[in-house]
Amino acid sequence: MTDLNVKKEYLNLVYTDCGKVSAGEKIKKLLAVPGTQYLIFGVILGVFPLLAQLGALTSSFVFAVGNTMIYAIMAIGFCLLMGYSGLASLGTAGFVGIGAYIAYYFMQVYGAPFGIAFIVTVMISLFSGVLVGFISLRIEGIYLAILTLGLSEILRNTFISLKSSIKLDMSKVRLFGVKIGEEQVYLLILALFVLLLFITSNLIRSPIGRALLSVKNSTSAAQAMGINLMKYRVLAFVISTVYAAIAGLMYMMLLRNMTTSTSTLLSMATSLNILGAVVIGGAKSLWGTTFGVFIIYGLQSTLLSKIPFFVENPAFITMITGLLIILIVMFFPGGIAQMMGNLMQKRKTAKFVANTQRRMDGYGQN
Amino acid sequence: MFAAFLSTVCGSLLSICVTALSAFSVTIIFRTSTTANFAQGSIAAFGCYVVAECLNRWGVPVYLGVLPGMIVGVVIGLFIDLMVFRKGRHVGELGKQIITMGFVSLFYGGIPLVFGNPEFIPFESFYNTTKAGVESNVVLRVFGGEIVLTKHALICAAITAVVLAALFLLLKYSKWGLGVRCTASSEFTAELMGINTHVITAISWALACALGVLAAVMYAGGGAMISTSFMGTIQVNAFLACILGGFATFYGPIVGAVLIPVLSNCVGFLANFPAFYDISRWQMVIVYVLLLAIILLKPQGLFGKKVVKKV
Amino acid sequence: MARTDRAYRKMMRRKTMLCAEKDYRDILLRDCQEQARKKTDAYRTQLMRELYTAHPDWIPAEEAGKIVFDSRMAQFDADMAFVRKQASTRAAKAISKDPACAEREEEKLQQLQKEHEELRNQYSCRLQREISAQLTDMPGDGAEREAAVSDIERKVDAFRAEQEKAAQKQMETIRQAEDSKIRKLSDALEKLQLAPADRPGLPEGVVLRVQDLCMYFGGVHAVDGLSFDVKKGEIFGLIGPNGAGKTTVFNCITQFYKPTSGTLLFENKAGEVISLPEEKVHDVVLQGIVRTFQNVEVIREVSVLDNLLIAGHRQFTAGILSQALHLPTLKKQERIIREKALRVLEFMGLTEYRDWYAAGLPYGILKKIEIARTLMCDPQLIILDEPAAGLNDTETLELAELIRRIRDTMGCTILLVEHDMGLVMNICQTVCAISFGKLLAIGTPEEIQKDPQVQKAYLGESDEEVEK
Repeated sequence: MTDLNVKKEYLNLVYTDCGKVSAGEKIKKLLAVPGTQYLIFGVILGVFPLLAQLGALTSSFVFAVGNTMIYAIMAIGFCLLMGYSGLASLGTAGFVGIGAYIAYYFMQVYGAPFGIAFIVTVMISLFSGVLVGFISLRIEGIYLAILTLGLSEILRNTFISLKSSIKLDMSKVRLFGVKIGEEQVYLLILALFVLLLFITSNLIRSPIGRALLSVKNSTSAAQAMGINLMKYRVLAFVISTVYAAIAGLMYMMLLRNMTTSTSTLLSMATSLNILGAVVIGGAKSLWGTTFGVFIIYGLQSTLLSKIPFFVENPAFITMITGLLIILIVMFFPGGIAQMMGNLMQKRKTAKFVANTQRRMDGYGQN
Repeated sequence: MFAAFLSTVCGSLLSICVTALSAFSVTIIFRTSTTANFAQGSIAAFGCYVVAECLNRWGVPVYLGVLPGMIVGVVIGLFIDLMVFRKGRHVGELGKQIITMGFVSLFYGGIPLVFGNPEFIPFESFYNTTKAGVESNVVLRVFGGEIVLTKHALICAAITAVVLAALFLLLKYSKWGLGVRCTASSEFTAELMGINTHVITAISWALACALGVLAAVMYAGGGAMISTSFMGTIQVNAFLACILGGFATFYGPIVGAVLIPVLSNCVGFLANFPAFYDISRWQMVIVYVLLLAIILLKPQGLFGKKVVKKV
Repeated sequence: MARTDRAYRKMMRRKTMLCAEKDYRDILLRDCQEQARKKTDAYRTQLMRELYTAHPDWIPAEEAGKIVFDSRMAQFDADMAFVRKQASTRAAKAISKDPACAEREEEKLQQLQKEHEELRNQYSCRLQREISAQLTDMPGDGAEREAAVSDIERKVDAFRAEQEKAAQKQMETIRQAEDSKIRKLSDALEKLQLAPADRPGLPEGVVLRVQDLCMYFGGVHAVDGLSFDVKKGEIFGLIGPNGAGKTTVFNCITQFYKPTSGTLLFENKAGEVISLPEEKVHDVVLQGIVRTFQNVEVIREVSVLDNLLIAGHRQFTAGILSQALHLPTLKKQERIIREKALRVLEFMGLTEYRDWYAAGLPYGILKKIEIARTLMCDPQLIILDEPAAGLNDTETLELAELIRRIRDTMGCTILLVEHDMGLVMNICQTVCAISFGKLLAIGTPEEIQKDPQVQKAYLGESDEEVEK
């Protein structure tokens, strides 16, 4: 036995814990905290405009990233609604419209600063979320999905009747009394996105998240444990609605104009795509959801726009999205997050098996 | 005034046919596969494109052209049932739902790839009006007024009536119908009773998709421009009709499908009164809000039964 | 009723907070001690390590040899077990594919087992030999080493004393701070003490009274004029043939169904008498009634521990803001309830399943989780719906023991529906037999067994006629 050193092994076995934690372990521990992860993620995305100024990235790339983040904001709200409360809603597009129209009416028409528009957005979407939440108490499952689809149609038609084409002049937008340009809008979106990621991940790991899961799994058990179905259903809807409306507000800030009747933003496609993103990424994982949104919205404009085939056939991406949704639901109900988890597990097992094998070989030798 | 009202109501005849066929398709899939088929509209649109291709490229008359469309519908339906739903039996209700939504994206992306740039192709109606001296409308005179109906709508109504009557008779008296009803009440028990539920669901899917294509062709012939998402509104209406009538019966959704276009046209009719001159702008909103209110009052639908959950 | 709901809520909230605060004080105190101990241990480890690194030949030879040998052998056994497990899984797969090769596979496995035993003997001999070869240069020289070690021990002792003193000081401040908080809370609680209840309609010692309870579903009279009393601290069994309406009675008590008519009086945790139909279904647990379900309703998507945390949901008083930002309030409560859940898990013997997802666990464990969940709610009355259904005989006996233990240690009343007559007759003080929603008989198990009407309901009319 070549590797046997009794003294060393004895010391390592008996006197292991010196109470000292190495720097590497400390960093590892810190990285395991979701808050740190989000912060790092935010910083990475935050240098993009800087890189664009230096010429390392095109500004259209930065714009595409900003756009993707807006959809990601909708998706993390939807993730909470579908993955944690099991409520399938197809009303996302309508609620996005609320934010967009508030942005138009308050900032363009009334000339209110961003802060006011933001607060109004949150208040109004909160109210509509409560309304839909109450509806979800009477109607469940597929019925609810269809009903929210109808609701989204109502909102879309209302918006078209109100004003079919809206436009936001950035020179009129003020944030704390300061005019803001494209880069600031990007940073604002980023800040909101990271903040909402942080809040959502906290909620998921709180009593609220567990209560939502229990309502999803068994309403009777939840009630017997003292969980108020109404409160948590409404809460889930409120959160997803507020996120969607915030996304709509930011969408108007970034894109500045929209023709409602032809815009895909307020059509069923958005609701379906958000749902698709959440399913592809993994309905219970925020990172997965963010990645899913990137696949559906970001991939095309950031990476695939360099490949001529996809530029000529943008519909191809939609098709692939559909295919991905179908295949993932059929074979990986937990989405990409589950796939990664399985992969990691497999690697771990393989490593374990290899180690055992190595030792096994050692046992036979003399 | 009354004649004008009647005329408005009759104006919804085509919508009623299209919505009824779509609603029946949705119901039959819902009952046999416990899934609301969100891809109903896009499958129908796909089939409609096939028909349009036949019409515009080869000059096939629409009566014949609808057949390959429906066959494509059957193939798609069988494919979805056999390749996807059968393989994914362990997938839950919500999962199946999402799969059909995946198909929506698949078809939205697929149509432009297969048919080139396809937005807004004009479409031929069942009654061709290009011949000189032939009127495309039928005018009835009642209550001192005129009711105008297009011949296309009348033909569609006839087709719809025949198809639905045949289907209801089949459901009621045929062995297949009994199988569908059994599968609808409990797939598991039906299987134990020796019913081949695989065949039942496959036929249902094929039938539903074919009917969807038929409905789309009717709708397109009524003057709609076909595009990837032109069946979207119809589909939403069909879904709402199903909920309004309740999924529990097969006739409930048909009743719902009759009610929605009529309701919509009634609201539109109010524009004749000076007080509501601007109502057409808000027509859809009002109709949907009304429907929503009814559904909230009767969540199980007009013909549904309340189910008490046992704990 | 004299009480106002709000006052009761406030009081229960305060009570929960008070309990939590007391728990938290204990946790903090224990943390202090733990930390002091850990620091001392770490200090000692460090000193010893330094010593032995400087003088490797001072390592106690015999002890070192034994420890190294044991650890190596443990590793060996684990590896072998793993390999054998892999082999048996493979064999099972092969057998399921082709049942004919079962014998061959079995033989192969036995062969492997034999090989491993042989290898183990060889390996242990060799290991022993090599270890003893290495140990020869460790004389473990006496006096000098002794001196060094005792020096270290002295140092450690001094360090320990210092740490303990610091810990004591810290604990004292904690105790003072927490005690003042607790005193404040309990003072506030005392002020809230509701006027002594005049216990309308509920005699002393009765915790639940069901009176003329009726539950009709359309024309079906599921429960029809049922009345019984449940005394405090007893195990009360509700029996009856299938479809007698037992579960419906439970659903009425826990407000899953609103009874058509009848009174349900209950003495809640504050000693007041309340009418249950006035409560919302999710507030029943606040009053002190928790239930389990016939078909186990465990939250399958989360771990066993999280299942218990969900049961402790009403004890979280942190608002949405502190949940969204994970403020210290939430962290504190999370800690308290987590400790409580761990205690309950230990009580139920489920500690090893702590982090398992409920989805893959066997039925018996799921049933236990359900019962553990009820314990998280500090119940006054636990309602068990067929706890023994699907359990085998040993498990049922274990369950009987468990139910008694819960009653005795938690001091609560237990009401259960059960088909297993052995269990009911074994543990229940009072048994109530119903049939078609109507009361047949109520009394001790012996009385019920002898009751002719009960026999008739269970065995049918014709048997009696035959007897005649």
